[in-house]
Amino acid sequence: MKNISIYRPSTVEEAIQLLSRHGTEAGVYAGGTDLLIRLKNRLKQAPTYLVDVKKIDNLRYIKEDAKGGVAIGTATKLSEMADSELLQKKYPMLVQAINMISSPELRNASTLGGDLLQEVWCQYLRGGYSCWRNGGYLCYGAIGDNSYYHSAMGGRLCYAVYPGDAATALIAFDARVKLATPGGVKELSMEQLVPGDMMVDGRIQSHVVRFNEILTEVVIPPPKPGVRASFEKLRPRGVWDFAMASLAMSLQVRDKTIEDARVVFGGISGKPLRETHVETFLKGKTLAADLSDQAVSIALANAAPLKYNSTKIDMAKGLLASGLAKMSAVA
Amino acid sequence: MHAIEGILFEPVGCLAEFPAEPFHEIATRLFGGRRKTSKSGSRAYWHLLNLIEAADRKLDPSEREMVESLEVQAVDGASAYDDVVPALSELKAIGTRLLVASSLSNAAVTRFLERSVPREHFSAMWSRDNAGGVKALPLRSALHCASLNPERTMFLTDTAEGLKVAKSVGVQSILMMNDPDEAKRLAMHDPAGGIVSLYELPDFVRLLAARNA
Repeated sequence: MKNISIYRPSTVEEAIQLLSRHGTEAGVYAGGTDLLIRLKNRLKQAPTYLVDVKKIDNLRYIKEDAKGGVAIGTATKLSEMADSELLQKKYPMLVQAINMISSPELRNASTLGGDLLQEVWCQYLRGGYSCWRNGGYLCYGAIGDNSYYHSAMGGRLCYAVYPGDAATALIAFDARVKLATPGGVKELSMEQLVPGDMMVDGRIQSHVVRFNEILTEVVIPPPKPGVRASFEKLRPRGVWDFAMASLAMSLQVRDKTIEDARVVFGGISGKPLRETHVETFLKGKTLAADLSDQAVSIALANAAPLKYNSTKIDMAKGLLASGLAKMSAVA
Repeated sequence: MHAIEGILFEPVGCLAEFPAEPFHEIATRLFGGRRKTSKSGSRAYWHLLNLIEAADRKLDPSEREMVESLEVQAVDGASAYDDVVPALSELKAIGTRLLVASSLSNAAVTRFLERSVPREHFSAMWSRDNAGGVKALPLRSALHCASLNPERTMFLTDTAEGLKVAKSVGVQSILMMNDPDEAKRLAMHDPAGGIVSLYELPDFVRLLAARNA
């Protein structure tokens, strides 16, 4: 492992100054369940200067805001979210999704910010191949074994899938985020935060956060009346793997009529993928068992599987069918 | 890799999928021997170029007519990739110089540009006729006449021969990963980079610019 320097700032402002000073050589260090592994894997792209944000007090909280929504500090551990009564009461689907991330031990170390901004888990990147994300110019996943963690919906240089589950669930709630930047606070929707492979500061990454910015808060709007939400995830090993396909779905239902729908797939694309065609189809329909066949038939029409991963599309469609079936059974 | 100023395109396999049969036919008629059965138009083409280069002789007028006619037939049977025109337009918009550097005859390249990809996308067109030979010669002519630095120039190819030629000229060899199994094999030849779709090429150029800024 290369030599690293660790800074322990006590304020967000100080952390931003440190990040600005070291440019892309620096990285935010919180739970370390992604970053430390990148260092151990000796990846070229791993930072040399770690800015440890764990000592910054005002990044770790879960609190109800004035509008009835919930604000979560990004240094909050996933286990704290999983144990939160407030989240369980207001957004049980989010707690369900968080409980499916990794293992209890890792949830006790991982933070919400780390889960949202984690690096992809492509075996070629993590194995030190000189790929797009590791200083090289070729995606080995596109031509090698892409059965598990590569996109079945096309790619943009890198074909690895976005691995986080929290973002997939939070997009279904229309959550927003706050970024601390040298120029002040910036607000984005969760979708804008993780739009898929982007070139940011000369690097390819799944999110838009620049080298001198820190993700500080996630804000979830108050639950809408009549909302029903579900999260489902298929993974190679049920204990702790990343999603081969996942689905976060949120339906606002009144008198069995779907007034609004959010359908977000995870694990199949370079970003949490909103399936807007299905959302449009569902709006105004009566929530009933026969809905799923039609929804599945129009879902993921622009799928572009690689050689070994077309099964991910079948899995995603299966999750859509089962999710709608469960929701209609409750109705 | 340096920031990129120009890209050289060999239409066969990089801008369009060509049929293999006309190239096999040319090889058999010019050089005899057993007919190759590769289904890949690119491989058949580069095999033919190897034979032409090894023979090191000028074609007589009747041979030349036959070759041109079969090459035009290949062009007529070729299907340009969907991503060619949008990718070339974007590359041109970001200031990348685009040149055709092909070992096809002038007649075949001209026909290709009339039929499949508008000529306006390219600042120059080099064929084996105006370059005076095949394989490396069209690339060298294109580089020289456009005053392009080879290290700042890409050549796209989907064959091992193409990669070799690019390296011999000193340009950045970029593998078109049209077929994953073939691409996996060709990745062992250490290309400078690789793309799955031409849509990725503008991002590639922008990334290099950013990394070299």
